[in-house]
Amino acid sequence: MKRGVPAITICSDQFVVLGRKQLKALGSEGHPIAVIPHPFGLRTRDEVRGIAEQCVADIARIAVDPKVGTLPGGKASSTPQRAARIEVPDDPDEFDQFCVERRWSDGLPLRPSTLDRVARMIAASGRAPGDIVAIVQPGFGTATVEAIAINAVMAGCKPEFMRTLIAAVEAFTDRRFNLQGIQATTNPATAMILVNGPVAREISVNGHLNCLGQGTWANATLGRALRLVMQNIGGTLPGEMDRATQGQPGKYTFCCAENEADNPWEPLHVERGFDKNDSTVTIIGAAGTQNMNSHAKDAADVLRVIADSICYPTNNDYHFGGEPWLLLGPEHAQILHREGLAKAEVKRRIWELSKLPAHRFAAKDLMRLRHTRGAELGTITDDTLIPISYQPDDIAVIVAGGPGTHSVYVPTFGHTRSVTRRIV
Amino acid sequence: MTHNIILDPTAASGAGLQRPWKSLDSLKGKVVAFIDNSKPNFNHLAQDLGELLVKHHGVARVIHHRKRAASVPALESVYADIQSQCDLVIAGSGD
Repeated sequence: MKRGVPAITICSDQFVVLGRKQLKALGSEGHPIAVIPHPFGLRTRDEVRGIAEQCVADIARIAVDPKVGTLPGGKASSTPQRAARIEVPDDPDEFDQFCVERRWSDGLPLRPSTLDRVARMIAASGRAPGDIVAIVQPGFGTATVEAIAINAVMAGCKPEFMRTLIAAVEAFTDRRFNLQGIQATTNPATAMILVNGPVAREISVNGHLNCLGQGTWANATLGRALRLVMQNIGGTLPGEMDRATQGQPGKYTFCCAENEADNPWEPLHVERGFDKNDSTVTIIGAAGTQNMNSHAKDAADVLRVIADSICYPTNNDYHFGGEPWLLLGPEHAQILHREGLAKAEVKRRIWELSKLPAHRFAAKDLMRLRHTRGAELGTITDDTLIPISYQPDDIAVIVAGGPGTHSVYVPTFGHTRSVTRRIV
Repeated sequence: MTHNIILDPTAASGAGLQRPWKSLDSLKGKVVAFIDNSKPNFNHLAQDLGELLVKHHGVARVIHHRKRAASVPALESVYADIQSQCDLVIAGSGD
């Protein structure tokens, strides 16, 4: 443990790889792990007693064993190094195989990070290659401007995307985002990029038709570059420190702009205190997308069906008091605005309408809910109405997409808050 | 076969100095803390382990801390408490 007290970690056998990698990243490689059988959470009380009998013997042994923590390797460096130059095959097929073997890829072909391409990317950032932008959890890799530029090249970014990408890395390493939790969780959580302000037009980030779909270079490669930063600098290889049970397609890329032109209210960055001429990037701990298709033509109907759509008992936003994101299609937004609803009123009414009776949660989930939200809600009985977030203003409302009767709910990881950074 | 030179996309850990494991001389008379990550059943395991450590291994006292949820860090006050009075900390997950 960091504070000098010896620490033993207990984890189930399926998570030992994560435990070992995490200890190594923390400079505690070789610290002991006591292993219990997976899945542990489903065991009966008697089975837990039996596991404890076995586990206590392991703990008693390793607590007094001076050799258990012998370091197999040397010391990690606290000085960020410039990236190593590596000779790779010129042939594209052989290069792909080279990347696959090193696990650099997200599963798609990578563009070679040649010296000239990386130099152009760094030049476009306006910063020195060795500047440290952030430390990326859970591997605690050092994200220098150069390291970000290399992954940007590999993802297919254009140099003019670099400032937006750097702001995204700054945002997602803010403590409020909880990158550690999002990177190593079994949940399908990832970092969604939302772009506001003039930069969206300047680098052509799509916030209109099919803005969460394919076909736009900036949307595709900015999100992909951030994923490569998470994996190659943050150290989350699938099946190792990335423990996602299934994951989600948004882990390849998840990026769009707000459709400010068709937004009847103030755009997100203005709501958050930035000037309308500022350009910002907002990072969201997104667990997927859910289509909300409705031909409702009055505000009460739109609000009711949206509230019903986001209200289900396996939703992390309820379990932990989250920050649900509503990406309203322009047509739904216009219906609400036409009837005089301000954004704050939309949030308040959806918050009220989407309260979920506690008896709809699974018994184990209700037990957890009492632990995670008991301080906020007091005694939770079967009839208690559970709000999706601590307060109405925690619901985020933006406008995205083009013509059509669709809006999108982006449920979040729960233990996360979006972070907005100005692009400089 | 022709070759190209590229730059490595991976980054070294920024963790800095290694912290070697320091074993105890004995468990007798020691104070042991648990940090329960609040996943199902870990509270029961921590309770059982604590009782067994006291009953069979001479541990003097056991302190239990429970995180609000698995995916958030323990409170700073938890670390301060452990640092001030504990000889060994056992942190765990009931996944």
